[in-house]
Amino acid sequence: MASTVIGAGITIEGEISADDEIVVQGTIRGKLEAREGVTVETGGVVEADIVSGPLSVSGHVTGNITSSDRVDLLAGAKVVGNVKATRITIADGAQFKGNVDMDV
Amino acid sequence: MAQARTPSPANRQAAARTTQAVIGAGTRVRGRVTGDGDLTVLGQLEGEVSVRGELFIEKGGRVTSDIDAGALRVAGTLDGDVHVTGDVTLLAGSNVSGDLHGARVSLEEGAVLDGRLDSEFDLPSELGETSRAAAHKATARR
Repeated sequence: MASTVIGAGITIEGEISADDEIVVQGTIRGKLEAREGVTVETGGVVEADIVSGPLSVSGHVTGNITSSDRVDLLAGAKVVGNVKATRITIADGAQFKGNVDMDV
Repeated sequence: MAQARTPSPANRQAAARTTQAVIGAGTRVRGRVTGDGDLTVLGQLEGEVSVRGELFIEKGGRVTSDIDAGALRVAGTLDGDVHVTGDVTLLAGSNVSGDLHGARVSLEEGAVLDGRLDSEFDLPSELGETSRAAAHKATARR
């Protein structure tokens, strides 16, 4: 299936809902819902609550994250918000402020 | 429990190669989209679009929005008014409702346009004299 890429020069203010994978290199403000994976790349900015499958962040996220799968905060990531996921990794060099809620 | 997934490497590579934006077939966007680059729509987009590059509405793509763009190519469905500084191309199979303001507009055979066409152009010789700033409600046909 084709995937969605929000390129570096693009800003979306509003609501995104997707069955595709989403790659964010630009800016999203509002709400982001994806059934598949979401990747916030270096330089990507998400100021939105995220509901998704697996999530991988190397950019900036401000908002609450709910993942049905795993969340990986990679080096260079800056995340402010609460994370709810089945698994989470926070790499050395990732910045994170918020609570973690894991199903146990 | 299901195996944990990560976004596929192929997808990441594809993303790295392109600086443009793609709204995939399974994606719906409601809101405002602005940017410097190109935007390709295979899914659904509702709201407002303002891009400096080219907006390409692919077959299957549906855009309900006024558009401000550098160039526009439509193979899918568009409902909204269009202001484009460069080329506007309505490809075969496209369906456009709204007014078109563009420097250069071309309609392919099989394109459907319901709206005003506000552009300076020359009519083909068989249709007679040169016409300027014509307003048409037209279905492109040969």
